[in-house]
Amino acid sequence: MSVPETDEVSGRPSGVVRALVIGAAVLAVLLLGAAVGLLVKLPGSTSSTAAPASGSVDVGFCQDMSMHHLQGIQMANIARDRSTDPEIRQLAFDISSTQLEQVGRMKGWLMMWNEHEQNISGVYMKWMDAAGVHGHGATTPEAGKPLMPGMATTDELTRLRTGPAGREFDVYWLQLMLRHHVGGAPMAEYAATAAGQSVVRTLSDNMLKSQSAETELMKDYLAKRGAAPLP
Amino acid sequence: MTSGKKTKATRNSVAAARSSVVASKPKPWGTILAVIAVLALAGGVFGYAYMQIHENNVKEAALAKWKPSDTNKDPSTALAGIVTKEYKGSRHVEPTQRVAYDQTPAFGGPHDAQWADCTGVVYDKAVRTENMVHGLEHGAVWIAYNPDQVKDDALTKLKAKVEGIPYMMLSPYPGLDKPISLQSWGHQLKIENADDERVDQFISSLLRNPNTYPEVGASCENTAFLSNPAPFVAEKPGADAVPMDGGKDDSVTEGQPQNPSTPPASGSASTPPSS
Repeated sequence: MSVPETDEVSGRPSGVVRALVIGAAVLAVLLLGAAVGLLVKLPGSTSSTAAPASGSVDVGFCQDMSMHHLQGIQMANIARDRSTDPEIRQLAFDISSTQLEQVGRMKGWLMMWNEHEQNISGVYMKWMDAAGVHGHGATTPEAGKPLMPGMATTDELTRLRTGPAGREFDVYWLQLMLRHHVGGAPMAEYAATAAGQSVVRTLSDNMLKSQSAETELMKDYLAKRGAAPLP
Repeated sequence: MTSGKKTKATRNSVAAARSSVVASKPKPWGTILAVIAVLALAGGVFGYAYMQIHENNVKEAALAKWKPSDTNKDPSTALAGIVTKEYKGSRHVEPTQRVAYDQTPAFGGPHDAQWADCTGVVYDKAVRTENMVHGLEHGAVWIAYNPDQVKDDALTKLKAKVEGIPYMMLSPYPGLDKPISLQSWGHQLKIENADDERVDQFISSLLRNPNTYPEVGASCENTAFLSNPAPFVAEKPGADAVPMDGGKDDSVTEGQPQNPSTPPASGSASTPPSS
């Protein structure tokens, strides 16, 4: 109880206390201000020109779609090597050249953002977890299973490369490529609205539209060859 | 509070009354408590925000440590045990030729015109080094293992890091001096077991790191090679092997059909990565 001590000089003690009170109040305001500063991002700091963060939709889409595309290119190139049907070879060229160009764009952006050009975490499509995406989201691949929806397994690729040629090859290729297109669509669909960068939204929207058209075409091609899509 | 003497009770009481009146002004307890409360709250909020952000920064820093960037072009140099060598993108050799590599397994130098397919390929049989090195030149990471020492669970773990993952390849390497050896162009790390955290760190640092491999953007696809991989050659390269500098004069090293009976012949006989 040191209370009485302050009252020895009447009139003056309030100065000390007031200084303390004011000092503490100033400190409190500063601390609160600093805390708010730490927690709140200025609207300008997330503008579309700033590099998107690791784990963002933009980075995740570019990394995972690049990987998805690379397999599409791989399969298309196998068709360029193996198919003798001009219709199939033409479609395969269209797919491989378009997707390779798109991969180049995405990897260029990732390089500008100082991000890995591919997902090295072993968990794919985690960036789709954020909003209520119906049934999609992070996938952790198991042995013998595809890394992402629509992707072919090693065994399927081996069969494509070494299996029977001719019409049988064309049909199997169409089936795998059709499934590949359909499997990748939800990623593009998600990024087309959820990506922060307009270039990413534009590209993913474009993929969605062009691949939907190709999907229809491949269904026609399959029907023409008396075959059905994979279940 | 004060033990007043009865004789001066009146004076004391007056003084007490006055002092209490005077004291009540400089000691606004309510204000003091309020300020302390606000201070504590502010300190708490600040502390919480700081801790959150600090924790986040630490996490990001741990990840960023192995991520190539403008300011950290080759994170692998921080890996314990990493061996690095400066190799230029180099000349190609014929399927029948050997290269006198300076490292085992090699991770740079002259190589076969055919790159080993590195589209996330698990090679079950050992592959000719001259082709694997070309895969490295395209930005791949090659995990080599000693087939006598790495099996079952350990091998399954390594396969999971490779199968279907672009720019990765895995192959046995007979006679490897450590159970596992990781290669990327100009980089090597030998480790004892598949659980070593440096496997992921090596991959994170070097897989298609545009600062560390010569042919940025090159493809890993080589269907012809994948259908018929060139087999590993166990014998040491002979005197006619292409030296690491590619040979001073190409015409000299190229023009060696006069001695096809030296060791490369055994490799060449079973090494037709045609087309």
